[in-house]
Amino acid sequence: MTDLLNGAEDEAFRQEIREFVTANLHPGTRDKVARGAPLTREDFARWQQCLFERGWVAPAWPVEHGGPGWSARQRLIADEEMFRQHTPPLPGFGLKMIGPILMRFGTPGQQARFLPGILSGDDWWCQGFSEPGAGSDLASLRTRAVRVAGGWRISGSKTWTTYAQYANWIFCLVRTDPQAKKQEGISMMLVDMASDGLTRRPIRLMDGTEEVNEIFLDDVFVPDDQVVGEINRGWTYAKALLENERFGIGGVGRSKHLLQRVREMAEAAGRGADPEVADALAAYEIDIMAVEATTLRLLNAAEAGARIGAETSLLKIRGTEIQQGLTELMLEVAGPLALPEREGEGAEAPFENAAYQFLNWRKLSIYGGSNEIQRGILAGQVLGL
Amino acid sequence: MIRFNLPDDGATMLKDTAERFVADRYGLARRGEMLRKPDDQIPAHWADMAGLGWLLAPVPETAGGLGLPPVQIVALLEVLGAGLVLEPVGPVVMRCAATLARALPDAEAVLAPVLSGGCIEVMAGGEEAAPITAMRDGERVTLAGRAPLVVGGAAARAFWVVARMEGAPALIRVPADEVRLTRFRLVDGQAAAKVVFDGVCCDAGGVITGCAPALAFGADMGLLGMLAETSGLIDALYRATLEHVKLREQFGRPIGRFQAVQHRMADMFIAREEAQSMVQLAAEAMESADTGLRARLVSAARIKIAGSARAVLRDAVQLHGGMGVTDELPVGHMVKRLLVLTQMGGNRATHLKRFREAA
Repeated sequence: MTDLLNGAEDEAFRQEIREFVTANLHPGTRDKVARGAPLTREDFARWQQCLFERGWVAPAWPVEHGGPGWSARQRLIADEEMFRQHTPPLPGFGLKMIGPILMRFGTPGQQARFLPGILSGDDWWCQGFSEPGAGSDLASLRTRAVRVAGGWRISGSKTWTTYAQYANWIFCLVRTDPQAKKQEGISMMLVDMASDGLTRRPIRLMDGTEEVNEIFLDDVFVPDDQVVGEINRGWTYAKALLENERFGIGGVGRSKHLLQRVREMAEAAGRGADPEVADALAAYEIDIMAVEATTLRLLNAAEAGARIGAETSLLKIRGTEIQQGLTELMLEVAGPLALPEREGEGAEAPFENAAYQFLNWRKLSIYGGSNEIQRGILAGQVLGL
Repeated sequence: MIRFNLPDDGATMLKDTAERFVADRYGLARRGEMLRKPDDQIPAHWADMAGLGWLLAPVPETAGGLGLPPVQIVALLEVLGAGLVLEPVGPVVMRCAATLARALPDAEAVLAPVLSGGCIEVMAGGEEAAPITAMRDGERVTLAGRAPLVVGGAAARAFWVVARMEGAPALIRVPADEVRLTRFRLVDGQAAAKVVFDGVCCDAGGVITGCAPALAFGADMGLLGMLAETSGLIDALYRATLEHVKLREQFGRPIGRFQAVQHRMADMFIAREEAQSMVQLAAEAMESADTGLRARLVSAARIKIAGSARAVLRDAVQLHGGMGVTDELPVGHMVKRLLVLTQMGGNRATHLKRFREAA
């Protein structure tokens, strides 16, 4: 694998990351990530604790809020190197989503109250955006909040709430002005998962995991100091939230990690020398290189002052297409060995997760703004169509 | 090391000048007139391009050139590609001059007549599938073999033949009047030649050996030139198609308002961005001393860009509808140039193999 980020001055940084991971990553977690097995709360929490103690848990946060002060280039290197060392990718709901939003739009009180818990992992956040009737058309959401003394009362439901079973906080988009135009009557609120009237139903996915949930809010009280920014400006905050860390959405580290696993599977299946497989692997490696090169090119342009906004949607589209394509190549390589049930007697390393990962990763082109939505964003905001 | 720095002032100036030049000298009607000229003549603007310093630009200073780095040169070639120019800048300057500058001790004197715009000399041979051979007999060397398609060869004064002699590559200059030459135009109008070297003799003293690194470097520079032209054309087709879908109305609105069209345009944008990234990657790789890295990244760029080019070609024609298949819009001419660029320079399997083996 050719590393494009391989400057001499980067090597020391890479080395530092590598050594830290080797010394601190729990071997059980490492093994699961290396095999593509599902991760538990403990896997994430343990690793977050290590990173937190080292001061690396929030690579993109400013130093005054607890970030390590890395450049964008260093963040990409760290991401790539950590994936290579099989670290679990920490869920971004606190660290990448609501944290930066509170830094930008929250009150000093909210920052002092919530940011430390996001960093330490004492608080686990989940995201209450999608609803049964509002997916790609998020602005049509119907969960509403009604003004009461000292705060608001929320009623409605949220869905696809990843890891809500671990979360003690949820940030929600709610409709606060039913008369206003679609996007204009929405607010963002921080809701304690232990609130009266909040219930959760796990949703079992086709790969057997329960990563996502449905959340029901029945007259849930939210005090005024848990409203983010101004009332009815929630859509603006949500857009800002989705624009955070846009240069990482190509998932280059994740793609390289998967490519390496498919390579290992090809070897194990005795197809390492099969020219068809070798060519397919090389073609994916080149596709990943193109995403990485484009990430770096856009990043450099942005750092030089160019306005790079919706262009980064292309990174999400290509990154997820590559990752999904690789899961298909994984199936091609594994053949029937991909089929035994994951925990059953017939499961055989290194193929035991192949079918499950193929099934699970169908989500990549759906979540975070489906790839159809991303193409629409490119067409509308970049191409002017 | 790959940096992805933004184009500097030099590259921007080169690009601006080239865009003005193409706007002034080219265009479908003028290009049509040029195509009616006999194909054995040096294309009209060759000397003027030399006057602008474009032919000297990529040649190292030690060989009398300006020594501009590849990342700057690709900006120029992108514009020339998109402008559908008929002068063989890529084959002569990127491939031939780059090779000679590294293979000959007296490169400056040899290249001067070419780079001053007075004549054309190009490379021929070097293809593994159909090698040209050189048999040595005492002080004489006799060639056998042919080069079926030499772009820029129709008006060339001499060919620099890459031949196999005694198991190693050798470089031999052969004047055009000593070969059997068949001139023709390619599907996009560029002048080319089929060159037969059977029986051509030369002095053994004139054969340059030990030049494998120079040949490899020159071949990759030639490829980079083609990739830059391809990327320029992808950009031009993207722009032309985007404008078309904004203006063309059907069912009472611009066709660019339809989602099916929007998503294809989004994909064309992605292809353009990735092509530009890969050209820059390959250009930076050409500055690396690591020949394995160079081979890998140039082949990677070639694979990615050729694939993108094919997709953009298809969608550009499709979205232009009936007008896309005529000879009356630039799109048809750009498509033909893309076809030429992607059919040459080695196929996908070859480059995938090189990419894998250079790891």
